[in-house]
Amino acid sequence: MQLDLSMKRFIFNNLKIISLFIGLFYFFDLQVFAQEVDSNKNLQSHNLFKTDDLKIGERLFLGLIKTEDNTINCASCHNTTVIDTFNWNPSALEIAISTQYIDSAAFANMLLNPLTKKISEAHKNVKLSAEQIVLIKQYLNNFIISGLEKPKMHITRLLFFIFLIVLFVVAFIDLTFTKKIKFKPIHGLIMIVTLFFIFKIIVEDAIRLGRTKDFASLQTIKFSHKVHATDNKIDCFYCHHTAETAKSAGIPSTNVCMNCHELVREGTNSGRFEINKIITNWEKEQSTHWIRIHKLPDHVFFSHAQHAGVGKLDCSECHGKVEESHLLRQYSDLSMGWCLDCHRTRKVNFLGNEYYEKTFKEFHEKFKKNTLDSLTVAELGGVNCMKCHY
Amino acid sequence: MTKYWKNVDGKLNSINIENKELAQNSFHTNRRDFLKLFGFGLASTFVLSRCENITHKAIPFFIKPEEITPSMSNYYASSFFDGDKYNSILVKVLDGRPIKIEGNNLSSISQGATNSITQSSLLSLYDDTRYKEPKINGIDTNWAEVDEQIIEQLNKINAGKGKIALITSSIISPSTKKVINDFIKKYPATEHISYDSISVSALLDANEQCFSKRFIPDYQFNKANIIVGINADFLGSWLSPIEYTKQYVQNRKVSNDKRNMSRHIQIESGMSLTGSNADERIIISSSEEQNLVANLYNYIAKSIGEKEVSVSKPAIDISKLGDELIQNKEKSIVVCGSNNTETQIIVNSINKILGNYGNTISFNNALLTKQGNDFMMYDFVNRFEKDEYSAVIFYDCNPVFDYSNTEKFVSGIKNIDLTVSLSSIPDETSVLTKYVCPANNYLESWNDFNPKIGLYSLAQPCIHPIFNTRQEQESLLKWSGIHEEYYKFIKDTWKSEIYTKTNSVFDFESFWNKTLQDGIFEKPINSTEPEFKFDVSSLKIEETSKSEYEVQLYESVNIGTGKYANNPWLQELPDPVSKVCWDNYAAISVAMANEKSLKTGDVIKINDSIIIPVLVQPGQSKNTISIALGYGRTVAGKSGKDVGVNVYPLVPKENLRKYSVTNIKIDKTNDFRELATTQSHDSMEGRDIIRETTLEEYQENPSAGNERHKEIEEQHQSLYKAHEYKGHHWAMAVDLNSCIGCNVCVIACSTENNIPIVGKEEIKHAHEMHWMRIDRYYSGDPENPEVIRQPVMCQHCDNAPCENVCPVGATNHSSEGLNQMAYNRCIGTRYCNNNCPYKVRRFNWFDYNNADALGKNTVDKHGMTKDLPRMVLNPDVTVRAKGVIEKCSFCIQRIQEKKLKAKLENRVLQDGEIKTACQQACPANAIVFGDINNKNSEVYKLFDQERRYHLLEEINTLPSVGYLTKVKNKG
Repeated sequence: MQLDLSMKRFIFNNLKIISLFIGLFYFFDLQVFAQEVDSNKNLQSHNLFKTDDLKIGERLFLGLIKTEDNTINCASCHNTTVIDTFNWNPSALEIAISTQYIDSAAFANMLLNPLTKKISEAHKNVKLSAEQIVLIKQYLNNFIISGLEKPKMHITRLLFFIFLIVLFVVAFIDLTFTKKIKFKPIHGLIMIVTLFFIFKIIVEDAIRLGRTKDFASLQTIKFSHKVHATDNKIDCFYCHHTAETAKSAGIPSTNVCMNCHELVREGTNSGRFEINKIITNWEKEQSTHWIRIHKLPDHVFFSHAQHAGVGKLDCSECHGKVEESHLLRQYSDLSMGWCLDCHRTRKVNFLGNEYYEKTFKEFHEKFKKNTLDSLTVAELGGVNCMKCHY
Repeated sequence: MTKYWKNVDGKLNSINIENKELAQNSFHTNRRDFLKLFGFGLASTFVLSRCENITHKAIPFFIKPEEITPSMSNYYASSFFDGDKYNSILVKVLDGRPIKIEGNNLSSISQGATNSITQSSLLSLYDDTRYKEPKINGIDTNWAEVDEQIIEQLNKINAGKGKIALITSSIISPSTKKVINDFIKKYPATEHISYDSISVSALLDANEQCFSKRFIPDYQFNKANIIVGINADFLGSWLSPIEYTKQYVQNRKVSNDKRNMSRHIQIESGMSLTGSNADERIIISSSEEQNLVANLYNYIAKSIGEKEVSVSKPAIDISKLGDELIQNKEKSIVVCGSNNTETQIIVNSINKILGNYGNTISFNNALLTKQGNDFMMYDFVNRFEKDEYSAVIFYDCNPVFDYSNTEKFVSGIKNIDLTVSLSSIPDETSVLTKYVCPANNYLESWNDFNPKIGLYSLAQPCIHPIFNTRQEQESLLKWSGIHEEYYKFIKDTWKSEIYTKTNSVFDFESFWNKTLQDGIFEKPINSTEPEFKFDVSSLKIEETSKSEYEVQLYESVNIGTGKYANNPWLQELPDPVSKVCWDNYAAISVAMANEKSLKTGDVIKINDSIIIPVLVQPGQSKNTISIALGYGRTVAGKSGKDVGVNVYPLVPKENLRKYSVTNIKIDKTNDFRELATTQSHDSMEGRDIIRETTLEEYQENPSAGNERHKEIEEQHQSLYKAHEYKGHHWAMAVDLNSCIGCNVCVIACSTENNIPIVGKEEIKHAHEMHWMRIDRYYSGDPENPEVIRQPVMCQHCDNAPCENVCPVGATNHSSEGLNQMAYNRCIGTRYCNNNCPYKVRRFNWFDYNNADALGKNTVDKHGMTKDLPRMVLNPDVTVRAKGVIEKCSFCIQRIQEKKLKAKLENRVLQDGEIKTACQQACPANAIVFGDINNKNSEVYKLFDQERRYHLLEEINTLPSVGYLTKVKNKG
């Protein structure tokens, strides 16, 4: 990308401030999962409890206060922090949101005498007094305002990077000024090694820039491809039914979900909690808001119809074994190199498609005479810029 | 060879480029700065890569409609009618947004083509200045409040003595007529007056007097051997230009099988689009028109033995023209654009005695798009001012801007309590009214039309109303106390009025669904022609004496009546003749320029009121100044406000609105206003860029005018290895004989390919972005030159000079013969631009579409980077950022789409299946695109003709675009 002249100017005039910003960025290293928090401001005024009570509620939830049930830790199942692993149980925030309009008695009833088998199993040893439940509910309500707690910062790679720079600078200073270590090749060795790693980190990060391989996100509904595609053997094309005919594979609309969930109301893993979300959406006539995992840049044109429809590629070649895990993760790095690698090696289903046979007559003749047995995508123009960029 | 000249001054217009902003930013990088930037770059890379990716949401449908597939487009048949021109259209809707308009193939009017205004009306849907809520006294309110107040006042007026005026543009919708009738039934005090922004009242009156039918007849230019247009720009703006162009070119095309063509003579004062296409132009001053028409009649009548009219001798010799017409009796057509009843009656008489009625002109399927009666309107305006009315409703009209006597309207409106405007966008009239009940855009509305007798069409909504608006008919229905949706109302009207005429074997529901899908229902009428009953010899002609200076006001091809003035696409589209955009101007003749020592850009004052820059226009009548109407809107959005000068007030304040004004006073001022033009160099510099011949020569030798083609091809030698195209080889043939230069291809290309608006100042810097242009050259006498045009887009050369010089390989050759452009690779050296002999590459000097990561790069004079106008962008085409080159891609997105369709359907690609945007929109069928590896393709057949040549073929770039020589019928 070109830097505009005025932009360059701006950078130079404010170099110090920008450096400071960069420093701050390093410090906080924002590795935080974005989570939509339904911040219900009204609840703040309802919060008549003292902070002490909140503390007790928290300790009860975390299992730090000895209770009749011999301390069961609610947080071991219902996470109170943002996590990037798949947890079938609702988080503290989700419980808080779904129970915010019911009173403590009803909440206690839900907690102690659950309707579904799964929860009764899990809650069977829970013994809490009515007062404690009120405190727990109050503590949970607090999440609606504050959201889940943010996880600790990941700074190891950054610290390592800073350490390398410090080491390099120290070696350099000792080499030229202080001269504590007399044996000079040591400086050289340290400087070469640190420089190598500094550049390695920078290059790796630069290549990673804009790429989202392994990206995964928790969704508003804990939808699992494993449960649907493996356990219940639903075909990919049942939900993504335009994958073979349209540019986008299609995300199923709510009515498609309801084809099964009209009857399937309770799951083995999450009980009713997750399935209820789709049913609520259906009743409220609203779409589900998913977080997008696979996204190509705007200047790339990609059509599922070409690849899955004409090319007859298996979904898993690009998306990996989606059906094997609960959490959907971006399998390929979706970089241009990755696309071209395939275009250069993949054989085209030439015979049998009249378009290819009649458009590339010369090749077709060779196929018939058996002088040619296969053609790659690239040999039919598959590496032209304008196949994907226009 | 014809000698073409550079420009009127005989020298190059110096283009004054003083970019102050650029000068200020001149900036030198030294070693230290370089190291700083280098370090900064590395550090920011590291930081950026650590940042979390922005999460995007994916929101599926709640219930997916059966016909919609996300990411795939649908086409809906609809109709466009702006009170002036009608067009049957198809709307391309992708993911809920209309993004392109095409002509409807099934309609006999549009025949698959469009015009510039129809193409760009799409952008008006996403106009940010539209009314978003109903208003009372300029304050936003809700519909219930507005309805309650209006109904209450209407009832009060109805009960008392007051009168209600309903002013509309011409209504051609059967259901709307019914709605208005119902409104009048409910409020009998209502008077309905319809008028046209640009009136053809005289033509209607003349037909009423001659045939007792107040219609515009069905002109059939395809059936005529000789076409005479008298100040009628029938290819550009007169009545139904798309239909007329389709007919006109039918008989203008020549090929090896058909070596004959019609002859076109245009008699006019200013250089119009139609005139510039004529084989012969006769220049008259606007006041001479009637005299010439009468003398022409007399000449023909004399030789046929009919009665003559009394008129003074003509200023010019019309005998040759008269003889040609007599020779082509029953196979000729004479049309006149004058708004003078006597002139039109004489023109009718000419057509009558030539026997054209029933042959080239018919009343069977008469045109209904203009119905306004100037006398009624004049009478009404006088009464309106005199305080006779208690309420006025403006329906799809803007008389404060486009009626000649604006003052009377303004003072009339001020005296009335209940003033209602149903305009969808702020205009000069709606800002004066108390109530604004904003209508939907036509793409959000249901409607039906009856543009010609026997032709019906439907309009359907293609998007949910973007704002809290309600279509006009629904408002009127509500006020009439009819609580019915307009959709149902139309259906009922069709069931009772139109379906009964069809004698269809299907039930109504099937008929309705089919019509809705087709967009049209046509049942042409074939009955006997009405009798001509007017004694023309009794006609008394009041001859206007020729004055020193005269003004001719004309409807511009781009801006039209001015209704769509706030459309930046239209404003930036260069005028087909002068190539000026973002302005109107006073076109003066070379003689007048010399006499008054004026040059292009000098500002003059007309009648002490109109201050306007002049343009020296070759082929202009010596004493007549031509000025386009529709400019100078004072209430409009960013793009339309104060662009050009409003010349509607120059129309004489008489009952019949005449668009030629005599006794004009002109004063020179000391001001100079540079006009923004996209072609300042008019010379071919001695090269045969356009090759032409005459019909006579062509009939003898099909390669006439194109002798050099063979010569050059024999000499071709190349160091480069020839490309091998194993599959497709895309090519385009442009028939210069068909192209009329109407510019619709340019706007269609802009719409399809997300081409940005750069604005007037950037155009002055020659920074326009249109991927294709229509070059216009003059030859011969500057007072009456011949005009020739050539559409130029990327030539997709096999030996492309641009490809060799790109340092980063951003532009290279595809295996299908396309010269490809990868925007993301481009680093903006502009070497390719310098090396392109055709100058078809465009550079993004700024970020016009907000595609850049750096907000500071954005330059957006016309609000195109706001969210709403950005909805018009085609998601299948990359939006380019600052600093990259772009150019015509042969609509690669369309090629890929159709190829994929063929692959999915397991079949070979059909010839003609892929249509580029320019080809699809062209009303003249001048552009043909296809695969020349397919020997049966139309483009191959055209390439096989002797008329084919390539632009600058002597430099051996081997373009994939071929041109066919222009043939002129010199008679």
